[in-house]
Amino acid sequence: MAKILVYIEHDESGVSDLSLQALALATRLGGGDALLLGENVSAMAATVLAHGAQDVLAVEHPALAGHVALPAAHALKAVVMERAPRLVLVPSSTVGNDLAPLAAGLLEAACIVDCDGVEVDEGAWRFLRTEFDARVRAVYEAVGEGPALVTVKDGIAEAAPAVGGQVVATRVELGPEALRGAVQRREVVKKTVNLKDAKVIIGGGAGVGNRENFALLERLAEKLGGELGATRASVDAGWISAERQIGQTGVTVRPDLYIACGISGAVQHLVGIREAKTVVAINSDASAPIFRVSHYRIVGDLTVVVPKLVELLA
Amino acid sequence: MAKHIIVVVREVWDTRDIIGDALGADGALRALPRRFEPEDLNSLEQALQIKDRDGCKVSVVSLAPAGDLDVLRECLYRGADEAVRVVAQGAVDSAATAALLAAAIRRLGEHDLVLLGVGVPDGENSLLAGELAGRLGHGQITYVDSITELSGDQVACRREIEMGSEFISAPLPAVLALGVYLLKDDPRTPRAAKAMLKLKLKKAPIAEWTATDLGVDPAPRVRVAALRALPQRQVETRDVDPGNEAALKAMLQDIR
Ligand SMILES: Cc1cc2nc3c(=O)[nH]c(=O)nc-3n(C[C@H](O)[C@H](O)[C@H](O)COP(=O)(O)OP(=O)(O)OC[C@H]3O[C@@H](n4cnc5c(N)ncnc54)[C@H](O)[C@@H]3O)c2cc1C
Ligand SMILES: Nc1ncnc2c1ncn2[C@@H]1O[C@H](COP(=O)(O)O)[C@@H](O)[C@H]1O
Repeated sequence: MAKILVYIEHDESGVSDLSLQALALATRLGGGDALLLGENVSAMAATVLAHGAQDVLAVEHPALAGHVALPAAHALKAVVMERAPRLVLVPSSTVGNDLAPLAAGLLEAACIVDCDGVEVDEGAWRFLRTEFDARVRAVYEAVGEGPALVTVKDGIAEAAPAVGGQVVATRVELGPEALRGAVQRREVVKKTVNLKDAKVIIGGGAGVGNRENFALLERLAEKLGGELGATRASVDAGWISAERQIGQTGVTVRPDLYIACGISGAVQHLVGIREAKTVVAINSDASAPIFRVSHYRIVGDLTVVVPKLVELLA
Repeated sequence: MAKHIIVVVREVWDTRDIIGDALGADGALRALPRRFEPEDLNSLEQALQIKDRDGCKVSVVSLAPAGDLDVLRECLYRGADEAVRVVAQGAVDSAATAALLAAAIRRLGEHDLVLLGVGVPDGENSLLAGELAGRLGHGQITYVDSITELSGDQVACRREIEMGSEFISAPLPAVLALGVYLLKDDPRTPRAAKAMLKLKLKKAPIAEWTATDLGVDPAPRVRVAALRALPQRQVETRDVDPGNEAALKAMLQDIR
């Protein structure tokens, strides 16, 4: 039994890449067991074994199929009580960041979310977290004996190879206190674009004004061989699909060039473009916060400036 | 119909306008201006709108010493019925915060909803909703965008997730963490404080409960071992005049 338990997140397309990164981190820290919760999850055991899991615990339960936090947290609690890991690693995603604090509340245990590094200091784990608009790296330590539940961010480790683990039959009983709440429906778009790897992204915000104006950005994207991205404001307005949303609840991107059009620069958006190499911003408000992170500042009306740029690129 | 809603509020560092390092020469956090957590103002507004409709009671609770900015009094000025401050000694991490607030919430009595905010991804950590729900044994819904249904025994919400939204229901009592962002002329925009209430409640006593009163031992589970300043990315901003074609051309040359 390993000292680290890794919660493996999955959907119809299989195990998430970040879960395998978490497993690789566990391997680096001395080895980890993997926990699969859901229905027909045993089918995924092979993938998890191929990426460094020691014991694979596959817990099958219909209530665990819908990614509802409460039953999952109770199941996680039951497994933690039985196996007493010192550390539980969870992917930092909507599902993981819902699960870890809730399970920590049930266990009255330590919880740290959104860690982007782990150091080992005289045998003790130290969890790093970027805070205050990327001005501070805080170093956290769990206090006491109980387990620490830690969610880890994309990029925490490279997926690791197999170590010759095994599947261990696992059952948990879920009482009425766990079987509450349900997902009624999900309105999620299928991913058809890969913004993560795009070299050039033209981002459109509320300032774009309407769906027709997005065509202007599209022309610029075509000229530069880029993809369209968006803020939540323009996704919510229905001008562009949710898969193009960049930021806290969208994707994190790393383009060489990001052209922000009609975007104010809210922190929830900026976290998604922090690693853009060059940022150009077009905004009619000279004091928009986006200009603080921009290499080129164009104060103007995007409906004039963007067509101008397209013309100059012809 | 809800009868009692408890809103958990706090003040936070205002990091919007800090430029440069957040740590001083001594390696400690610089004193930053503080403000009412904007997400908490949204959840207070949500509670007050339910109160306007259903006539329920709205209580607010905060764990922090009373500062210059008294968020609890601000809540009373906006229409909350009862305010409680939880006072703690020593280090308070989120586990201790959850233990203390959960005890205070229990002591505030039977309730249908506990509302809080979702932190922004920097500095804040969006831990408390889950830790509270776990300790209270309630269901939770996070990243709530709107409450779509609230009946005698159930709440349903629309929430924002990766790639879209989700409609979730939970039985009452439930903990909801609101991650509302406001559109122009949004009906969810927080109301202003009422001048009349300000006059009336300026000196109204606010209950203070300590860990001893609440019978909890708020043992921290996490400690900050160190803070390291991160080198700030230096962005040299060049102004490009949109009316100057040559300047635009030069920029395009540079960025392609
Ligand atoms: C929990 C939570 C999660 C969130 N997650 C995300 C996320 O993942 N991604 C995200 O983007 N946001 C997210 N948000 C929302 C975020 O807080 C901002 O509200 C949003 O990013 C604002 O989008 P915007 O810049 O397009 O709109 P606005 O802030 O309205 O800015 C529009 C800008 O356009 C400019 N403008 C207007 N007209 C013109 C014109 N003709 N020409 C040029 N400029 C013009 C204006 O000056 C203004 O600066 C989240 C919020 C919450 C609470
Ligand atoms: N000390 C506190 N007192 C009251 N509410 C708090 C406190 N700390 C956190 N909260 C609430 O929890 C939410 C999320 O906080 P956090 O988990 O720190 O991001 C905030 O928006 C508040 O509603």
